[in-house]
Amino acid sequence: MVGTPVLFIVIPLLAAFIIPLTGMVWKNSVRIIPGIVLSYMLILSISLLWHITETGTVIEVIAGWKPPIGINLVFSPFSGFFATLMIFLGLLVWVYSYKFKRNIDSEPALKYFILLMLLVTGSVGIVLTGDIFNMFVFIEIVGISGYGLTSFYTRRDSAEAAFKYLFMGSIASTFLLLAIMIVYSQLGTLNIAEIADKMPMMSNKLKVISLIFFMLAIGVEAEMFPLNGWAPDVYTQAPGPIGAAFAGIVAKAATYATIRVMFTMYDLSGAMDFLIVMGILTFIVAETTALRQDRLKRMLAYSSIGQMGLVMVAFGIGTKEGIFAALFLIFNHAIIKGLLFFSGSYLVYTKKEKHISDVNGMGKYLPITSVLFTIGAFAIIGLPPFSGFWGKLAILTAAADSKMVALIAIILSVSVLEAVYYLRVVNRIYFFPKKESMETQKPTINALIAMISLGIIILVIGFYPDLITGFIDRAAADLMDKTGYIKDILTINN
Amino acid sequence: MKKAIILISLTILGVYLIDIFTGIGFGTQHFASGVKDAYLIGSKETLRVSNVVTSIVVNFRGFDTLGEVTVLFLASMALGGILYKKRHDVGERSVLFPSTRIVMSGAKLLFPSIVLLGAYVFIHGHLSPGGGFQGGTIIATGFLLMLITYRNYSVSHNRLSWVESLAGVLFISLGLAGYFVHDSFLANVFPEGKLNDLFSGGVIGIIYVAVGFKVAAELTGIIYTILHEKD
Repeated sequence: MVGTPVLFIVIPLLAAFIIPLTGMVWKNSVRIIPGIVLSYMLILSISLLWHITETGTVIEVIAGWKPPIGINLVFSPFSGFFATLMIFLGLLVWVYSYKFKRNIDSEPALKYFILLMLLVTGSVGIVLTGDIFNMFVFIEIVGISGYGLTSFYTRRDSAEAAFKYLFMGSIASTFLLLAIMIVYSQLGTLNIAEIADKMPMMSNKLKVISLIFFMLAIGVEAEMFPLNGWAPDVYTQAPGPIGAAFAGIVAKAATYATIRVMFTMYDLSGAMDFLIVMGILTFIVAETTALRQDRLKRMLAYSSIGQMGLVMVAFGIGTKEGIFAALFLIFNHAIIKGLLFFSGSYLVYTKKEKHISDVNGMGKYLPITSVLFTIGAFAIIGLPPFSGFWGKLAILTAAADSKMVALIAIILSVSVLEAVYYLRVVNRIYFFPKKESMETQKPTINALIAMISLGIIILVIGFYPDLITGFIDRAAADLMDKTGYIKDILTINN
Repeated sequence: MKKAIILISLTILGVYLIDIFTGIGFGTQHFASGVKDAYLIGSKETLRVSNVVTSIVVNFRGFDTLGEVTVLFLASMALGGILYKKRHDVGERSVLFPSTRIVMSGAKLLFPSIVLLGAYVFIHGHLSPGGGFQGGTIIATGFLLMLITYRNYSVSHNRLSWVESLAGVLFISLGLAGYFVHDSFLANVFPEGKLNDLFSGGVIGIIYVAVGFKVAAELTGIIYTILHEKD
């Protein structure tokens, strides 16, 4: 073991405070230090993930006050799975964007890498914390770094997107604070485990309203329909790799928060029809909208929203198989959508409008990027032998086990839509003539490394899903074991 | 029509919310146990801090405060990034009208006392109402006064960066000291002292001073960036 969970938060914050100083002396340190910190976080999370398979969940108290008095961090198989996935993706985003805008003067670059590092830190914090108000603070950190990254290019459109996001995010924070206030006023505690333990003491009326506020607030970040109006603009206007970060890191953290609130705090594991309905609505609306888009990044954004809807559905099924499917889908979505955003950015790099028709004939000029985009497209549709296949299969079997035939029909028919719009792009890449007088931008070496490693992971998991099913299984079991979670935290002694 | 529907639904929502919030029962004793008693006792007996709010903010829930400090840091950083290309040089900025002699001499007179008050508020954060955030804000208002009064008054961005970074590093180092000595981040490593003394509460007072410096530097930086924005 190389450390404890609190270092996931403290080391990046320390680095963020020091970087402005080192940047004055050595300009390149503003790019390099975030990478070192993210690598350290990845090593820490992987070693902790191995460690907990032997010793069980690691719970760390802060300032020496045991829960429920103080704040605690929980590194369980479930939260550890999320944290490791998000940090890994964050590191890849860093690798991908290391050389991007190389000649930019140091100040905006300094902002970019610090904001990226804190975006990952905040998301990891959301996942690890065992305290609902602490979660609010981390959601704020994620939100503000998100606004900053969205407006990175300081163009008119990106400012508009960032403002939209800022507006939605601030309203969401207000509702989250109200929800936390209602819960505290009734139960006198902010610790998630103790809230879960005492939840039956709350009157039904207040339970309902606080749950609605929670869902309203977290749904904005989780891109749940109809709260996701900001998402397509943000994905389009933010720098390419940041789209991958939003899809793979922020949306994942918010999904975790949704599940923690619904499963653990409000104990709705038996009646999750709400999640299924919202998820299906998100899925259908987003996928049909994606079909109509003529800009590549917008299409990817809507597809990303749709996938998160599918994850909601899988959680909503509520059985062990359903949660297993949801976690597998989350894993797939993180790596596949990351690859699609990474490679898609290069396919339309030199174009101003970034229309789908701009990818025409790119197969000849950017062969590696095109192949990687195609792998991503096939994988997200759910074709074997890519990892996406196992995720889709898992949710279909979970639905079949719970005898939800209509659900299977909807998922399959919407998947056809998905196939249509992704294959349309792949068709254009390979079988359309290239438009005249168009330049291409060759990907930098570090971008290639990031994309190829994602492509390899997609293929390897496609052939050997057993490599990660063990972790996902343990994570699903950990989420289902609610009484164990409460007992672990409230009886900790150190 | 659209407006009427919005108005009606807002009214329904409003009535519902009023019904909910009047039913919460603020100020009444409606939960038997909770963390509040532990805070009251712990603050007085263990931490020896007479301002309970401070002991909650800096110690019991100090991790949240670290997060909030980071939020402020991020906000000033993101703003600096967005307005980067639009910055004027010293002496030309959007506030162009000259100040009168009264304002100019008054500002000079007030500035040191505002800074002193701010420093007092955060140094005594663990004894009296106020603390790092409040004190830092007071100091920043002093700089705001100087910046809008004198057209060519300038604050060194580098110096602000230094203050901001060192204060943040001090906060985290004190936390890490607790991590290495007592195996728990932010745990107190200094002697608690006597209740109501200036040197009481161990690390709490020092952390609040660091927060004060950090907040003052960040808010001043934000004000400076915005004042020097081109139209």
